[in-house]
Amino acid sequence: MDLLLQRVFDGLFNGAIYASLAIAIVVIYRATGILNFAQGELATLSGYIGYLFAVPAGAAVAGAELLSFVPGRPWPVPLAIAAAVLFGVVVGATVERLLIRPLEGRSELAIVNVSIGLLIAVNALVAEIWTTNPRRFPSPFPSDPDDFVPVLGARLRYQSLGVWATVLVVLALLGLFLQRTKVGLAFRAITSNRASAELVGVRASRILMVGWAVAAALGALAAALVSGVVFLEPSLMIRVLIYSFAAATIGGLDSPLGAVVGGVIVGLTQSLVPGYLGVPTELSLLPPLVAMFAVLVAKPTGLFGTARVERV
Amino acid sequence: MTASDLSEPGSRGSPGPAPIPDDELFPSTHPALQGPAPASGTARLRRRILGGAVLVALVALPAVVDQLALRQYASLMVLSLGVLGVVVATGHAGLISLGHGAFVGIGAFSMGWFLDARGWPFVVSLVASFLVTGAFGWLLGLPALRIKGIYLALVTFGVAVVFPSLARRFPSITGGTSGRPVETTMEPPSWTGLGEDHVVTWRYWFCLLVCVLAFVGTRNVLIGRMGRAMEAVRDNEAAAATFGVDLVRVKAGAFGLSAGLAGLAGALQAVLFPFVSHEQFDVFLSLRLYAAAVLGGVGHLVGAIYGVVALIIVPTVNETVGGLVGRPDGLLRNDVIVFGIGLIALTFVSAGGAVGLFQRLAERRRRARTAN
Repeated sequence: MDLLLQRVFDGLFNGAIYASLAIAIVVIYRATGILNFAQGELATLSGYIGYLFAVPAGAAVAGAELLSFVPGRPWPVPLAIAAAVLFGVVVGATVERLLIRPLEGRSELAIVNVSIGLLIAVNALVAEIWTTNPRRFPSPFPSDPDDFVPVLGARLRYQSLGVWATVLVVLALLGLFLQRTKVGLAFRAITSNRASAELVGVRASRILMVGWAVAAALGALAAALVSGVVFLEPSLMIRVLIYSFAAATIGGLDSPLGAVVGGVIVGLTQSLVPGYLGVPTELSLLPPLVAMFAVLVAKPTGLFGTARVERV
Repeated sequence: MTASDLSEPGSRGSPGPAPIPDDELFPSTHPALQGPAPASGTARLRRRILGGAVLVALVALPAVVDQLALRQYASLMVLSLGVLGVVVATGHAGLISLGHGAFVGIGAFSMGWFLDARGWPFVVSLVASFLVTGAFGWLLGLPALRIKGIYLALVTFGVAVVFPSLARRFPSITGGTSGRPVETTMEPPSWTGLGEDHVVTWRYWFCLLVCVLAFVGTRNVLIGRMGRAMEAVRDNEAAAATFGVDLVRVKAGAFGLSAGLAGLAGALQAVLFPFVSHEQFDVFLSLRLYAAAVLGGVGHLVGAIYGVVALIIVPTVNETVGGLVGRPDGLLRNDVIVFGIGLIALTFVSAGGAVGLFQRLAERRRRARTAN
């Protein structure tokens, strides 16, 4: 019983991380019909930027000297994470403006190429600057071995609680942003019907830039949170990205709610299936991938997605 | 209408982002994707002479470079078959594949297994590896009937990520975590007179022969009935089906062929370096193959060659420039970054990669000449 509960806790923790990156994928997909393969790498880059703020001034970390004008380093971890998120906002908006907007009207292949190019370039850039040595991003939550609440013999770690709370708060903020602000309204109008939205005066390109910024910020948050638990290294987010793609696909690629549910499903699958079905741990990638595959073949709209009519 | 009505796009049946019709994916009207224009007599002659010269140069290469460098070139040369695989799948059949590194891996592992465990001769093992990898590709091509465009890219990307850990699970074939040496190595037979120090030369020639045969064979498939059926499916699936093209056969077949080519690349790799390990076939191999294909030009067979030339030039330039500025290991620790930037830049400059770029230049020159 306690083992089951422990696995559920672990699974939910991972699920929260996957959900936040999955939402980032969904936000961009809804707005532009693109799967951004570089989502994970942009997040990794933001994570490293946050890391620079979290190390003491004068630490022997590449790039740290560029921040020598920043007072008061090391910043408290939550502030460092905020810096990572802010950097994500800037990078997301820049990528949209410089690389994606000029491709409007081009084929899907062109956009796949750009996002793959970005994946390769950013991954190599991060390895170039910071080498592939793993680094420990400090956790914003108490993470000593005895920082947990015992629940029926299982350990509910403060860290898990903190990550869930963060993700939930961010989701609530995202919901408020979409429902209660003008930009959010415009964003929803564009995802619903771009041509009509433009006719009533919404400046679609600007709003899409906001969408990319929001998505990259979510990714940055996911990277910062996950590297508080595992090490920060250049290829960290590639696996996370695959889990998140699986989560988004299972939930339905155009549904934020689906992304959250999908994230939880993938997280739980990852922690429960190896334990109970005898799939070895190192193959924990396989069940979500198979699920993603099955969804795409049998029900491409996923659990919560919208069916599309394709005209021939 | 309340605000919440708008929260789920298409909840009232309206479409989300407009679906991209298939014919926009690979615009067949784009000059770069049409391959070279039918050549006039002199142009064809010139092309043949050029091709022959390149071939002679490749055969003679061992005379001018040492064995170590030769092995490097050879391993990139065989990788051109992997790039060719991507060209066939993505450019000709419209099936975006980000997972061809996995097929290279399957080819290498099966080559090692056929040689060592079954004791088959090299040529037989090579053909068997081609067939085995092709069968895997064929199986993966079946769902492509339902999974299209960017979703196929997603699935193949997933395959590329999971492949190394999957390979580790079969230690008897793959050597598990640490990899496995291929015991059966290719040595030059005595009649060639090539001694111990020219082992690589012999292997290189073998690889060169296989590459030439594979390119010629693929060209014949592409200009024949199958190739046209593939392009018809790429440009408009429904129309192709209406005209009697068997979608299952064409899509799965195209993916099978393209995977088989990648498998050959892996099998030859195992001949050149008699050691196989899951680490060689990670997701970045897949991405590099894809990048090389797109840089070279996915619309045409020759794109695969240009792509591999890029794979050779980039590290060479990196090392040379690095040597000049006092970084003997190369200017960049990780020259892959050039491919990423190149991929992005070329998307803006020329949709058809290097092939498209050269064609445009030639076109411009021709126009300038006729204008005079």
